[in-house]
Amino acid sequence: MELESARLIAKAMTMTIAMAGAAIGEGFLIGKALEAIGRNPEVEGSIFTKMIIGVAMTESTAIYAFVAFFLL
Amino acid sequence: MNFLQIQRSITGIQPEIIFNVFDFPFSNTTLMLSLIAVILFVASYWGVSSFKWKSTRVQALTEMFYEGVVSLLNQITGSPKLSEKILPLIGALLVFIGLSNLMGLIIPGLTSITYDGVSVFRTPTADFNTTFGLAVASILLTHLVSIRDWGFFGHLGKFFQFKEVYIGFKKSPKEGVMAIIGFFIGLLDVVGEFAKIVSLSLRLFGNMYAGEVLMLVIFGGLAYALPSLWVAMSLLSALVQAVVFSLLVAAYYTLAVKPTTQEVG
Repeated sequence: MELESARLIAKAMTMTIAMAGAAIGEGFLIGKALEAIGRNPEVEGSIFTKMIIGVAMTESTAIYAFVAFFLL
Repeated sequence: MNFLQIQRSITGIQPEIIFNVFDFPFSNTTLMLSLIAVILFVASYWGVSSFKWKSTRVQALTEMFYEGVVSLLNQITGSPKLSEKILPLIGALLVFIGLSNLMGLIIPGLTSITYDGVSVFRTPTADFNTTFGLAVASILLTHLVSIRDWGFFGHLGKFFQFKEVYIGFKKSPKEGVMAIIGFFIGLLDVVGEFAKIVSLSLRLFGNMYAGEVLMLVIFGGLAYALPSLWVAMSLLSALVQAVVFSLLVAAYYTLAVKPTTQEVG
């Protein structure tokens, strides 16, 4: 296999697998946050803030893959 | 299709050097950092020197910002005394990173000023040097604070837990085996410190740099209504990344110091 085709395959596989994992994780997190808001609607502001921070942390692994995509 | 699309080459990861002063290179990131420093200095001096007892609008906004940051910090540190102590550090990080991320988006055309085909200003946090420096400095600060609180050998004893192994074996063999497992976990903590630096810097750098590159790609597709969506997303992600960086530094600081006992007033 030549270097160019191996590089293209590596780029594609990095991005798709990382994005799939991150999307599943974030969907799970946001679903749990919405469930918690439904149980106890008066702490909605606090839960929303923590959910945003949690989404940013989960998204960071997908961002590492994005950076690796540009380095490859 | 030259009036529906804008084609530009994608900005490289390395910043471009504009000029040299006595062999010290000034890149476009350095110029924008100096601009941000001047703006923050002038704004804070002018803001603070106009504080009165009866608050004006600017002072009310500053007080709202202060209360917001302190309440967020209280949720992380759990002790109002510690959060007041680290407020200067966390507030400075928040304002600096927030302003760096937002400056290219709020002031239209700032990053398009070119000199010799190279843009003169570049978002500082889209340069890995800036974010790496910030992350290394913050983690080094947590280590120094830990040495100040626990002493030099106490700080090393968190990672190389010889004393716990000795105490565990004195109690019973079972406790000794658990203590040996704890010893290996303590060794993994050393790797964890480097992972903290890499994750802090790469998260901020990746968000900002990938945002810039994606903006260029969208402009290459359709330059008319479409980029506004991505600009809105960039505004949100700029603020969120600043908050996440500062709160993570606050959390690492809280883990490093001795836990303050609550005084029952």
